[in-house]
Amino acid sequence: MAPPAASQRYPSPSQPSGKSEVTDLKSQLRQLAGSRAPGVDDSKRDLFKKVISYMTIGIDVSSVFGEMVMCSATSDIVLKKMCYLYVGNYAKGNPDLSLLTINFLQRDCKDQDPMIRGLALRSLCSLRVPNLVEYLVGPLGSGLKDNNSYVRTIAVTGVLKLYHISASTCIDADFPATLKSLMLHDSDAQVVANCLSALQEIWSLEASHSEEACREKESLLSKPVIYYFLNRIKEFNEWAQCLILELAVKYVPSDSNDIFDIMNLLEDRLQHANGAVVLATVKVFLQLTLSMTDVHQQVYERIKSPLLTLVSSGSPEQSYAILSHLHLLVVRAPFIFASDYKHFYCQYNEPAYVKKLKLEMLTAIANESNTYEIVTELCEYAANVDIAIARESVRAVGKIALQQYDVNAIVDRLLQFLEMEKDYVTAETLVLVKDLLRKYPQWSHDCISVVGGISSKNIQEPKAKSALIWMLGEYAQDMSDAPYILENLIENWEEEHSAEVRLHLLTAAMKCFFKRPPETQKALGIALAAGMADFHQDVHDRALFYYRVLQYDVHVAERVVSPPKQAVSVFADTQSSEIKDRIFDEFNSLSVVYQKPSYMFTDKEHRGPFEFSDEIGNIPITPEASGDIVPAQQFEANDKDLLLSTDEKDDNKGVSITGSAYTAPSHDNSNISSQMQELAISGPATSAATPQSSFDFDDIFGLGLSTAPAPTPSPPLLKLNPRAALDPGAFQQKWRQLPISLTQDCSVNPQGIAALTVPQSLIKHMQSHSIHCIASGGQSPNFKFFFFAQKESEPSSNYFTECVINSSSAKAQIKVKADEQSTSQAFATVFETALSEFGMP
Amino acid sequence: MLQCIFLLSDSGEVMLEKQLTGHRVDRSICAWFWDQADSFKSFPVIASPTHYLFQIVRDGITFLACTQVEMPPLMAIEFLCRVADVLSDYLGGLNEDLVKDNFIIVYELLDEMIDNGFPLTTEPNILREMIAPPNLVSKMLSVVTGNASNVSDTLPSGTGSCVPWRPTDPKYSSNEVYVDLVEEMDAIVNRDGELVKCEIYGQVQMSSQLTGFPDLTLSFANPSVLEDMRFHPCVRFRPWESHQILSFVPPDGQFKLMSYRVKKLKNTPLYVKPQITSDSGACRVSVLVGIRSDPEKTIESITLSFQLPHCVSSADLSSNHGTVTILSNKTCTWTIGRIPSDKTPCLSGTLALETGLERLHVYPTFKVGFKIMGIALSGLRIEKLDLKTIPPRLYKGFRAQTRAGEFDVRL
Repeated sequence: MAPPAASQRYPSPSQPSGKSEVTDLKSQLRQLAGSRAPGVDDSKRDLFKKVISYMTIGIDVSSVFGEMVMCSATSDIVLKKMCYLYVGNYAKGNPDLSLLTINFLQRDCKDQDPMIRGLALRSLCSLRVPNLVEYLVGPLGSGLKDNNSYVRTIAVTGVLKLYHISASTCIDADFPATLKSLMLHDSDAQVVANCLSALQEIWSLEASHSEEACREKESLLSKPVIYYFLNRIKEFNEWAQCLILELAVKYVPSDSNDIFDIMNLLEDRLQHANGAVVLATVKVFLQLTLSMTDVHQQVYERIKSPLLTLVSSGSPEQSYAILSHLHLLVVRAPFIFASDYKHFYCQYNEPAYVKKLKLEMLTAIANESNTYEIVTELCEYAANVDIAIARESVRAVGKIALQQYDVNAIVDRLLQFLEMEKDYVTAETLVLVKDLLRKYPQWSHDCISVVGGISSKNIQEPKAKSALIWMLGEYAQDMSDAPYILENLIENWEEEHSAEVRLHLLTAAMKCFFKRPPETQKALGIALAAGMADFHQDVHDRALFYYRVLQYDVHVAERVVSPPKQAVSVFADTQSSEIKDRIFDEFNSLSVVYQKPSYMFTDKEHRGPFEFSDEIGNIPITPEASGDIVPAQQFEANDKDLLLSTDEKDDNKGVSITGSAYTAPSHDNSNISSQMQELAISGPATSAATPQSSFDFDDIFGLGLSTAPAPTPSPPLLKLNPRAALDPGAFQQKWRQLPISLTQDCSVNPQGIAALTVPQSLIKHMQSHSIHCIASGGQSPNFKFFFFAQKESEPSSNYFTECVINSSSAKAQIKVKADEQSTSQAFATVFETALSEFGMP
Repeated sequence: MLQCIFLLSDSGEVMLEKQLTGHRVDRSICAWFWDQADSFKSFPVIASPTHYLFQIVRDGITFLACTQVEMPPLMAIEFLCRVADVLSDYLGGLNEDLVKDNFIIVYELLDEMIDNGFPLTTEPNILREMIAPPNLVSKMLSVVTGNASNVSDTLPSGTGSCVPWRPTDPKYSSNEVYVDLVEEMDAIVNRDGELVKCEIYGQVQMSSQLTGFPDLTLSFANPSVLEDMRFHPCVRFRPWESHQILSFVPPDGQFKLMSYRVKKLKNTPLYVKPQITSDSGACRVSVLVGIRSDPEKTIESITLSFQLPHCVSSADLSSNHGTVTILSNKTCTWTIGRIPSDKTPCLSGTLALETGLERLHVYPTFKVGFKIMGIALSGLRIEKLDLKTIPPRLYKGFRAQTRAGEFDVRL
């Protein structure tokens, strides 16, 4: 973050530096304060304007607060507005002086003119000074009953503001009930909409500690209320319509008729001029029909055209937001835009961020029927003046090539790129050709002949250089001068700054050596020597490893470094399907733009007011997390292709290879899952070490204490906090730090095992016992859960549990770690009891 | 829920700050934003270390909104667009000086447009009733009447009416209603001269000054050409659904009644034939422009502009009709105007490449501009406009025009 002083970052020369002008203003205001001379309003207005303009450019004018308030006695509405604006800005910092404003604001709240009543009420609620809330209740109460809808609208929002300043005052005054009755009976749509928005927020926040608020919140989603809103949705303004549509998304329809009724009511919303309304409607449609496959497909057809119009008709910023959503849809239903590919052709004047998304769309919708046209179009962009887009286009062509079966024409195009002799196009293309060869080795002949003609001197980018070197090593026997090119490169070892390239040089030299020993021997020797003297740890280690392996047995070395390869069938997707589903659930939100579910980028405290109910237990379900399989897989993978390891290190965004038995851990977008792996690996290790050492310790000192504390006849009943919260990072940290205080085996009853087919059910069940799941994973028969709980009385005392359930043997093993070790037995009892009740009716 | 809106000048100075909720957003966020690299900064949605930022840029002014909670991104962007539209409408344009001179009005407008972070009233007609625009007329009025307030005394009735876009009962001595068909043609011609994409984005713009509560119906002679429509909230959906008739109670003043798209057009009114040959460090350029399919109306304001590739060191271009200008940023514009009857406009000349380059590898894209008055190229025709109750002295008017939107000819 920039330093806080940044508010004065860009002072223009004409701006006053502050002090003297402010004092000047102060005295002038003071003179005018008492005056009733004619024309005084005009001079006041000039002064006020000056004050506000200082405030606007960031000069602190809070020192004239008193004078401003004194001058506020006026009938001029513009003066009033400026005064309200000023007071609203500085009241929070001057709570004592704010008391002065209460008087005139309260008086204005009773003004004849509804506009003044409304504005005064709005300002009064915007003061946000906690010790003044008592003065708010009266005016708000009468504001809610005002006969003018403008005032009521403002009063309703005022209630919400009051709630945020002092929730108890708001609840004590019974405002939520008043809002509810206004919401259901007021004639003005805007009042109703504001009631809805305020109540949603208040009840969501209250729901955590009030049963009643919870019920009220549920009642907003009841059929009559939903239909009450949907039937009159046209009366609301566009923004309120968005609000109602968001509410409708959460509604659970009773049957298919219900679904069709709602869709009929909302169909014309798809034609609304406001894109936000259209997108909110699309979300309702998609969510409603999730369970009805046929209808869901029809929905895609129906929403296609409005969405495409939005893309091409709005401002670039709007297009960007829409395109992000289209990309999500296309991933789920690639066919929907397949025939509309021309909509995603880039126009010359579009900003780069729109072009980039359009390229992604073109890549995603390419299929047998349109590939030729799309690739032709993309090739035109490669000659584009905009270098970034040209690069993206080449990459897009490559991606399409990798996802198609018929790559004939595409390979030709890619090879033509190499002939364009533009360094950045060549660089991108080389990387792609490398990936293509890994998937389609049969093309090696054509590719190699072209690649062989490229001079390595023209390629500077590490990625491209690595790709070229990889090909030189891999196809050394087909490229006559491969050893000599490599030799050249190795001679310039010192000038090669990228460790990635140096790693590839080592491997390529090895591979080349196995194929053409006499020609490469010298170069390999130089490379190994240079590598072992390298400062980079990985390069050094790899060189040393190669050296030793060669020393041991050349044939073994060949089997290790250059085994026969299988073609890659599918490149790993960087996003797991769970994450994609989750983003889809969050359609029409920031998640879509960032391509991450909201829990990955918003703090819990900042999650939307309506997201608070989202319990942490739902968070990550990662099948890779099963601890005992992962390390083995990684080992195998590392052996299999050394290229992979560098690829992953240096570019965890890029596509990584997958062998048949290997699933690449998806680094980029599921950091939770990789955290989970660390957890899973570190867990058992600690468990083995800790008890051992504690025993030794005891023996040495001959204390002879029994490890169990004095037999407690019945451990004091442990009360757990039902709403404990902990973020995965903190959990992980604690899990690492704390020793295992208890390991226990228990059995799970058969009903429980049966219910475990959906691991979610256990999470829910444990939650009802105030034990929260932070992460879970595994596949039948082995499931693994991480739980945590918190002592009701002491929020700092947490319990952490790893629970491994084997569903075939109906056994569970729990490991407990606790902040307060002495109570872990008590907690384990609670845990075991809860677990034993799982599956019981 | 937005927490704060900033208006930044094109030098990054904060011109205006409007806090919307109890959570105060520090201005330093703007400095952070301004210091980001251009490629990152241009994105409409940005995650800063503390807030999520939405931005749109209009005429050099950046409208920046901050939030910390999850919300529909399109809603924030739509809202900012609306703010920009309303401001430029009020101030008669958008630039730094206008905003700074009228910042009180901007504050007043924002105050009515958004409350507690949630958009409230964004209908220009309603806002106009609450806060008078700072135009010449109101200045005159204030001098004459001595009432200098730009705030109307009465509260807009529209805020309470069930037709939120229309004030109750405006009165006019002469009643006028005008319908404008405004179409933009987007087209892409590829390297082989094929028309790969050609579509029309059109709008029905209206200007209505009608007394009372008029109920209008507008019908087209050939509504079937329309592909996808978006309507102003005043349009009733069912009559369109069943008979393709637009039935509505119009807002007062100017507004956009509907927008539509017409896809897969077969022809553009103009052809552009560029040719570049390059050999041993020099290129020859020739571009021909002519009428492909005569729209039966004059094609006006024809322009052709393109960016010379970076590797071009100098250019010598001339034309047999119109004027050619080359700016220092290597943008070349050829202003043709109308096509003369006696010859085909032709731009020709040579480009010198930077030393060491033999051939040209990067090709420019030509952007075509034109305007045709009196015709909608999509072929859409208005059949009639009816009023349920005809007021005295009614004038109805219809116009149409087509202009080039994004018309790219690639080489």
